[in-house]
Amino acid sequence: MNDMRKIEREARMTDTKITARNVNVFYGETHAIKDVDVDIADKTVTAFIGPSGCGKSTFLRCLNRMNDTIDICQVTGDIRLDGTDINAASVDPVQLRAQIGMVFQKPNPFPKSIYDNVAYGPKIHGLARTKADMDEIVERSLRRGAIWDEVKDRLDQPGTGLSGGQQQRLCIARAVATEPEVLLMDEPCSALDPIATAQVEELIDELRQEYSVVIVTHSMQQAARVSQKTAFFHLGNLVEYNDTGLIFSNPNDERTESYITGRIG
Amino acid sequence: MTDTTPETSGPNPSHSTTEMVRQSLARRNRKQVVLQGFGVAAIAFALSMLVILVGSLVTSGYPALTQTHVALEVFVDPEEVDPDNLPGGGYDEMLAASLGSYFPDVDMSDRASARTVTKILSNGAQLQLREQVIETPSLIGETITITVPAADNYDQLNKGLIQRATPEENRRLNDAEIARFDTLDAAGAISTPLNTALITSADSRFPELAGLKGAIIGSFWALLTCFLISFPIGIGAAIYLEEFAPKNRLSDIIEININNLAAVPSVVFGLLALAVFLGWFGMPRSAPLVGGMTLALMTLPTIIIATRAALKAVPPSIREAALGVGASKQQVVFHHVLPLAMPGILTGTIIGLAQALGETAPLLLIGMNAFITSAPTGPFDSATALPTQIFIWADSPERGFVSRTSAAILVLLTFLITMNAIAIYLRQKFERKW
Repeated sequence: MNDMRKIEREARMTDTKITARNVNVFYGETHAIKDVDVDIADKTVTAFIGPSGCGKSTFLRCLNRMNDTIDICQVTGDIRLDGTDINAASVDPVQLRAQIGMVFQKPNPFPKSIYDNVAYGPKIHGLARTKADMDEIVERSLRRGAIWDEVKDRLDQPGTGLSGGQQQRLCIARAVATEPEVLLMDEPCSALDPIATAQVEELIDELRQEYSVVIVTHSMQQAARVSQKTAFFHLGNLVEYNDTGLIFSNPNDERTESYITGRIG
Repeated sequence: MTDTTPETSGPNPSHSTTEMVRQSLARRNRKQVVLQGFGVAAIAFALSMLVILVGSLVTSGYPALTQTHVALEVFVDPEEVDPDNLPGGGYDEMLAASLGSYFPDVDMSDRASARTVTKILSNGAQLQLREQVIETPSLIGETITITVPAADNYDQLNKGLIQRATPEENRRLNDAEIARFDTLDAAGAISTPLNTALITSADSRFPELAGLKGAIIGSFWALLTCFLISFPIGIGAAIYLEEFAPKNRLSDIIEININNLAAVPSVVFGLLALAVFLGWFGMPRSAPLVGGMTLALMTLPTIIIATRAALKAVPPSIREAALGVGASKQQVVFHHVLPLAMPGILTGTIIGLAQALGETAPLLLIGMNAFITSAPTGPFDSATALPTQIFIWADSPERGFVSRTSAAILVLLTFLITMNAIAIYLRQKFERKW
């Protein structure tokens, strides 16, 4: 059913960062993701939308192999980052996660200082030789996270003492500190108030200049605001994947239409 | 709502619901009051038992906190002491001569009658004098004032534990003996200072000389050994089981067995240690080192269970955050999970050690209830531990050990309370919010 559109998509996509083919995910007996094919473009914000439990977060976690940490979770299919199979035996998930950063639903700064939160990734990967290098990385990352001005005078304070929105931007700064190529965001604004949400959305738009951003969101307005591409998931299937404008103005599938008009979900 | 009556509530469903809730509410409230009553009664019962326990310990133990002493002017007679053989001097005779000056009517040259007077003093008195002279031989020829412990019976008399009102034939001291003590008392020679010997002396057959020093040092070495063995092994095992081990049938079986080990009676561990440590490996009897190893066997399951619970309590979001920036599994555990779990681990460890400190049965089996009159100088020396010392004293027939047993229990309880207080302090100090 999706075949025609898939061919059409492939023809239009040029600079593809991640390709996924025939991805299936099983949680024990449950078939959570069914034969999903998707191409994620570079320097683009791609939104995954869909009702709760439709598998969009699960699929997102396949992209940096976070599902490896769940014993009963089994992933099949072919996912390639710049043409390299990320599930190949030769790929270390640690290496992969340094290339593909992740921001989680709930802000989860380490119970350490703001500085150490950001410096942790570069430190374990050995990205900074000197203290000055590290200071520079921390400052650059916090600036990219659009939180530098708010925390520059209290870098030694605990990251957990910040407000929810600041914590989430700190987590984004932490994620970009390792210079990833792709940034995965799993409902990054669901725990934030509208003002903090607006700040994070603005930030996502800026991050698009350098990264490929994949964002899972419950809010269709948010998907419409921040993304260029939107994928609609329903019951483990990728129902429709297209330019955001087209998805919201002229969806091909009636399930997509029902969802964005609020009849299912 | 309160004006709702059964007559009007009949046809109206909302009214009948209100009424039914009102009726059931009274029943529910009654149940809650009854439950709370039981709770208060249970706590009151537990508290009263605790008060009775501590109260009886304190009332029977406080006499042991002081010790009757006799102050004597002793002439260190050059004729009795050979400067080349100081330990062999006639210190008994010097003390007898000094004591005799209070009792001109007693013939001190006669051994039997002299004994009726000198038995006021503890056997330790001559040892004390001897040590003093050995330390400073220049005392020979001088007259020195020395304060020595009184014998147990006179100590009991002084503290009122032997009552003068008791008929003479039922009393441990006869009227003449009491009169001699009173003579000394009238002369101002009797004092009742704090019984520091309780902490600074090792065990003795004579209650007035017996102390807990050997037991405290023995317990210290045993606990140190126990900690050094069980803490690293316990944490290592817990980290592996919780973070790295595959979850399968084998790990389930291991988990069940560890939980069962925590419930195995301590005497069984003692038998195991007796067979393995002493029997197979031929380790020394009564040594705190072996005691500590035995206690470590018991403490291990406690530490493993506490550590696993503390690791489990670290929120998964922290693990995901660390994994998300590319930390390896081992880095996640050692950089993030373990530091956050540390307060819980320390609390569990200290509670496990406190348990080990109070453990008696396994130590009895490996011979840590030996009668040892010198404090151990290292973990290989024979020693007792606090609980086994209590066991020995409780078993001793001398009257003076009754109060000393209670006092020793109070000392042990003080250590336990201190350790638990440290556990609470550590938990509060290191507890972090996330």
